[in-house]
Amino acid sequence: MSTILATDVIPLRFRLNGEDVETTVTAETSLTRVLRDTLFKTETKIGCEAGRCGACMVLMNGRPANSCLVMAWQAEDAEIVTGAGLDALPVTEIVREALAEESAFQCGYCAPGFVISLVGLLSENPQATREDVLTALEGNICRCTGYHSILRGAMLAAARVAERASETQ
Amino acid sequence: MRIFKPETPSQAVTMLAEAGPQARLSAGSSAFQAEWSLGKPRPTALIDISGLDGLSGIVATDSAVTIGANVTLSEIIASPEVAEGCPLLAEAARRVGATTIRHRATLGGNIGWRIGCLLPALLVLGAELEVLTEDGTQTVPLADWLVPPSAPALLTGVVIPCQNAETRTGFRKIGLRAAFTPSVIAVAGSLSLKDGIVEAARLAVGGGPVPAARLAEAEQRLTGQRYDAVDWSAVRVAIEAEIAAPDDTFRSARYRKRAGANALVGVLSGNLPGEIRGGRTLRPKPAPPIDEFHLSRAEGGNRWHIRSDLPAKIAAELPYLTDARRDDMLVGAVLRLDEPHARILSIDTSAAEALAGVKAVVTHRDIKGENSFGIVFPDQPALCSDKVRYAGDPVAGVAAVDRETALKALALIKVDYEVLPVVSDPLAALDWDAERVHENGNLASTIELDRGDIDAGFASAAHVVEEVYVMPRQMHGFMETEGGYAEPAPDGGLAVFAGGQYGVRDRQQLARILAMPEDKIRVVTSPTGGGFGGKDELTVQPALALLALKANAPVRMQWTRAESVLAGTKRNPMKIRMRTACDADGMLLAQEVDILADSGAYASLSPGVLETAHEHACGPYISPNVKTLGRLAYTNNGTCGAFRGFGANQMTYAIECQMDRLAAFCGLDPIEIRRRNLREPGMPGFLGQKVAPTERLTEMLDAAASSPLWQETPQARSQIRSDEIIGAGMALNYQGNGLGTIPHDEAIGRLVLGRDGRIEAHFGLDEMGQGLIPSIHAAVADKLGCAREDICAVIGDTAATPDSGSTTASRGGYVVWKGTELTAPPFSAKLLAKAADLLGRDAADLKVIPGGIADAATNSQVPLITFAALADGLKPGESIVEEAEFAFPKSDYTKGNARFIFAYGATLARVAVDRATGEVRVLDLELHTAAGPVIDLAAYLGQMEGGMVQGLGFTLTEDVLIKDGRFLTTNYDNYFMPTVRDAPERMATFALEDLDPGDPFGPRGAGEIGISSVTPAIANAVADAIGRWPAVTPFRPEDILDFCEAAE
Repeated sequence: MSTILATDVIPLRFRLNGEDVETTVTAETSLTRVLRDTLFKTETKIGCEAGRCGACMVLMNGRPANSCLVMAWQAEDAEIVTGAGLDALPVTEIVREALAEESAFQCGYCAPGFVISLVGLLSENPQATREDVLTALEGNICRCTGYHSILRGAMLAAARVAERASETQ
Repeated sequence: MRIFKPETPSQAVTMLAEAGPQARLSAGSSAFQAEWSLGKPRPTALIDISGLDGLSGIVATDSAVTIGANVTLSEIIASPEVAEGCPLLAEAARRVGATTIRHRATLGGNIGWRIGCLLPALLVLGAELEVLTEDGTQTVPLADWLVPPSAPALLTGVVIPCQNAETRTGFRKIGLRAAFTPSVIAVAGSLSLKDGIVEAARLAVGGGPVPAARLAEAEQRLTGQRYDAVDWSAVRVAIEAEIAAPDDTFRSARYRKRAGANALVGVLSGNLPGEIRGGRTLRPKPAPPIDEFHLSRAEGGNRWHIRSDLPAKIAAELPYLTDARRDDMLVGAVLRLDEPHARILSIDTSAAEALAGVKAVVTHRDIKGENSFGIVFPDQPALCSDKVRYAGDPVAGVAAVDRETALKALALIKVDYEVLPVVSDPLAALDWDAERVHENGNLASTIELDRGDIDAGFASAAHVVEEVYVMPRQMHGFMETEGGYAEPAPDGGLAVFAGGQYGVRDRQQLARILAMPEDKIRVVTSPTGGGFGGKDELTVQPALALLALKANAPVRMQWTRAESVLAGTKRNPMKIRMRTACDADGMLLAQEVDILADSGAYASLSPGVLETAHEHACGPYISPNVKTLGRLAYTNNGTCGAFRGFGANQMTYAIECQMDRLAAFCGLDPIEIRRRNLREPGMPGFLGQKVAPTERLTEMLDAAASSPLWQETPQARSQIRSDEIIGAGMALNYQGNGLGTIPHDEAIGRLVLGRDGRIEAHFGLDEMGQGLIPSIHAAVADKLGCAREDICAVIGDTAATPDSGSTTASRGGYVVWKGTELTAPPFSAKLLAKAADLLGRDAADLKVIPGGIADAATNSQVPLITFAALADGLKPGESIVEEAEFAFPKSDYTKGNARFIFAYGATLARVAVDRATGEVRVLDLELHTAAGPVIDLAAYLGQMEGGMVQGLGFTLTEDVLIKDGRFLTTNYDNYFMPTVRDAPERMATFALEDLDPGDPFGPRGAGEIGISSVTPAIANAVADAIGRWPAVTPFRPEDILDFCEAAE
């Protein structure tokens, strides 16, 4: 039986954008704070620290996760990918290009989180419908765009991913 | 907080027993952070059950589905066993949280907290729980679990009997917005039918504050009845009577009971009893088409460009000012008393200063200059000395080696204070004997106008409408909270990097506080992750500057969202009482307007907001008799300031609803009554001021008259539920650009040939997302004849850019355009002269093309000399620079603030009003705009769409709630900005770009026109559906239900 004390410095190991990372955290530290303040990986943004805006999203073991809801100790041995570490995933380029073409974002602070959600969705489901996209983006708040430019970019990306999936079959 | 990791379920139970009542079980842990961010205490122990054997998996038999407590909601939604055996559960699970929450949240957690939205569905399904206690495993009915057991217990699994195919089931969750919302109430029901008879009925409610419970009496009433012959009206009444539900901050018990009963009857019967017919507004006659441009990538063709700053943002490569990290940077934090009104008696920082790792503590005693700032008048302290006037007022700052130390130090600062009476009602604040927020009293500013004979106007009226329009304390909600960093310069000066909207003014205000010459201070304000007016005033800068100077080290600070909610400026809540009269033909006779605006604790730009609201008091209409009064009251309700629309959108809501109401009285359509009263181009403005040419109100009305939204289409019909009513409405608006007559409103723009051959466009404006950079690239490239890629926008840095004025008031676009108009021709001449010199040619034979300078006589796209070569050819000390200083165009009215240049727009809305819940869904928004030539298509479209949805939030869901000066709204889990599901199904944006012949004023500002008539368009659409105009925003579903009742 293992017990961790909050006053202890908890060692933490995980994979970050394909590289092994070792650091120490406290029981109360969120993954967002570890990424931004300990590892200086500020491409992961911080919005509400309550899981309600999606700005801090990362891929955790391949699935989008609000890093602010992950207590850092829960990331032990996890595979974490930030918005700047997506290059290795096959749909990333399609998603990024389609979003740029449709001028999806304005201030861009929410963009890394939206890109994580879309890359997560289209990696898992190359035949995503508009309804699937809406569901995938429910947890990402954008205050600038009114969402339609993001939806246009997302649907363009979804169509291209679906097209490529049918070509490779 | 201690973390325990048991290896078996029974170990978990033992640990729970030993750790005491403050221990909590943690599986998905999706809800803790939201609690903790509200400052709720952390548990003493967290027992991590996420990896335990025996709590996962879904197993189905013929009669039941057994689901492990650690199964996530996403797994339930994706499960074929659940889809087959108990689809009601999957239906309910889809409405919990958002995708990433459902990936983490478990079934056990939803049940374990006893407030989950799934509980009514589980009650109806007859779920039983497998519960492990120290006595072993027991199976208990869910209803028994809802009474908290006294002994430590671990929920391990849930057994759900399979739904019968003959059973009619339904689930509905009513929330506070379309998705990702807490429950107002959730309802579920199932009716087992045999030969058309209800054999058994199970009904349940729950969700959020509503105790989860079956509705036994209503169930009994239904049992044994013939399904086709059920008296649903009577059932509805019975259910409403039986639901036990409390009031809370957002919704009343009465609403929860009514909406819950309606929703339950709706899902069980398929149709709520009764009927409301929409289409009450007289449809306008289509007008001749106008030459508008439908904005989209497809229609844009070669005018559509990818924003140069976008790829880096999408690739998460753009560092914002809050992203700066260096090992030598300290972390700053600010102490707030969380008291709305208190007199400070003493501040003792000694314990904080003594804490290891603390490098500086600052209070008002560290301020060498004036302890005050404020754009209109400086009434706001940098750090409070005598009083705090709102809950977020800063008292002290700390810089420490890390955030944890800084927060610990804040807790060690001892402030003695005496609580003062709280001023929370803006009207009561103006009583002569009210407690004073500021020494001079609580009337921050006032404005009035009396023209014609108001009494005679009303006396001769055929129709008079009067209403009090109530508007919310909307939060800007920029995704990047206020923050940045500051570092001392070697010369004793200071550099401050923090998102803002006017670096030169930030520098002035800081210089005053620090008693430091302005030229010793550098302020960098871009890039900023959203502003909307909320970063116009100083935010983090004073504390950051004081800390960096005292610590003599770089300090970074970013407000948490909770701090931003508490401390940041908000939109001024307003009550506008408007009384409007017309004759039998709909001609306006009298307009009486009383504005009461809440300034919060400080003025900031609120007096300007009041003036702008007042300037729109008659809308773009002519009324011969006008009487107005506007008052701005200081209170202890947070603090307010600039926000997109700046008072115009508030007033437009009132006047545009009044016009539709009068139209209904007169038997006119909404377009016709507006045409009859519309100002004519060239007439003086509302204050008698001269108005710039290119007025486009008639054209906007023509466009609105011809909108397809007036007709109910099969597509719209197919998107609504049977209990929704469709309505359509429109509103007209105009929005002044620039700061008005009185404030200093000048700008400088500069073009420079950079050493690397790029053409630098220097503007002291800020990129907050609105598209300043693409607009600069577009304007300069178009005027010079080069490519956008040749341009480098240099912005938002007092060390590098000239004073171009503020990036507010829809003025940035004009400044870029005018600055380019003035500088590009002489700059081009200088480029050509230099090229001629280097090439040995005559400058008159050369021209600028993408990439460099070419022979004017050819169509060659290959430059004779590139810009880079041109830059290389500059002699030491030689430069090619062109700068222009110009004034923002102003009116001739000097008695007050009046705008000269306007942009024009019309918004149309199609809504679906839910007569079961009183919720309003916006199906369509269509925006027509006339703001002169569009500089950058994508940026312009983005401003319009973003403005519309921000307006939608103002109208339907957003309000920062404060009671007795204390914030009830604390973070994004109780402030509801639109999600992707709240955005309209369709949005269409049009631009009418032409200018009147000889109009010298170019493109109009595009920042605010998109928001300004959204609210009245939606309100008028609601009235089209149900015959009443909501006058309180965000609309209260309870009011809408009352209207529906009246309409039936």
